[in-house]
Amino acid sequence: MIPHDTPPFLLAIGQWGIDSGIYALMNTRWGWPIAEIVHFLGLCLLMASVGMFDLRMMGLVKGLSMKALHRLVPFGVAGFSMCAATGFLFVVSSPLEYIYNQAWQLKMVLMAIAGINMLAFYLAVSKRVHALGPDDKAPLAARIIAVVSLGSWLGVITCGRVITAFRPFME
Amino acid sequence: MMDALRWIEQTPLSLFMREDFYAYFVVLIFHAWGMAFLVGGGMAISLRVMGVASGARLERFAVFFPVMWIGAVLAIVSGLLLLAGYPAKALTNWVFALKFACLGGAGFLIWRIAQDYFPMAERGEELPKRARWIGAAAFLLWCAGVACGKLLLYTNKMLLLS
Repeated sequence: MIPHDTPPFLLAIGQWGIDSGIYALMNTRWGWPIAEIVHFLGLCLLMASVGMFDLRMMGLVKGLSMKALHRLVPFGVAGFSMCAATGFLFVVSSPLEYIYNQAWQLKMVLMAIAGINMLAFYLAVSKRVHALGPDDKAPLAARIIAVVSLGSWLGVITCGRVITAFRPFME
Repeated sequence: MMDALRWIEQTPLSLFMREDFYAYFVVLIFHAWGMAFLVGGGMAISLRVMGVASGARLERFAVFFPVMWIGAVLAIVSGLLLLAGYPAKALTNWVFALKFACLGGAGFLIWRIAQDYFPMAERGEELPKRARWIGAAAFLLWCAGVACGKLLLYTNKMLLLS
């Protein structure tokens, strides 16, 4: 059900989704399931790279060179790209269900925090972290950044699951 | 078997999982976290065996095993609770069995990698070429396990028997 006071930009997104064929594609038998699979695989790749890097930086695991472990990060970037692309398909196919959804809104906030946190890592501590040996403890700032990063991504996973609990305009 | 599934559906735990507003979603969240740690750790080890991050000593990736174990325990306990809620939905779906076959296969390959290749890496020996293929197979099995988990929602033939 579309509320009367729906902002024009949301209607435009929905219309663009229909005109571009994305809505039809996503509503085929396997459109939505395949997009969901790619979305969670992207999150798994993020955990495999950024998540494991965070655990090392937090000091919960030791014995691995941070510089070498950082080579896994491109897989995290690939994972994030998979999530962003499929997330775009979800939102364009059903904009009202997502944009008014508080879990989705919180998910976007957490992703923004993760992004700013990543910038802080590269601007403030990455050089110091890369110089560490396999068993060295990361500086406090790096450990805080790692906690924020891992917390944000676990929050993103949580919100992703909760999105399905709140369907503001589902009849 | 159907009688057993009907009986499970009427247990207090199964009713709680279905009827409590929060239970199913809270357990789903823990399942997603568990899978993310299990598969994330497994993928990291698989990628390393495939040759990524070669500057990091392979045998040292054993530090991720506790992370994977924590993820596995979370995923299994939450998975059993989800199964208690809708036993017929999962146990009458062949994709559910395929999910376990894929994740079990991936876990087995990671165990073999740890048994065969971690000691070789520790001794400074070069890994055989097939190690990369085993790493790639493990990576694909993790992906397939995740894919099957997602497909469960779309391939079930029934929700409840009772």
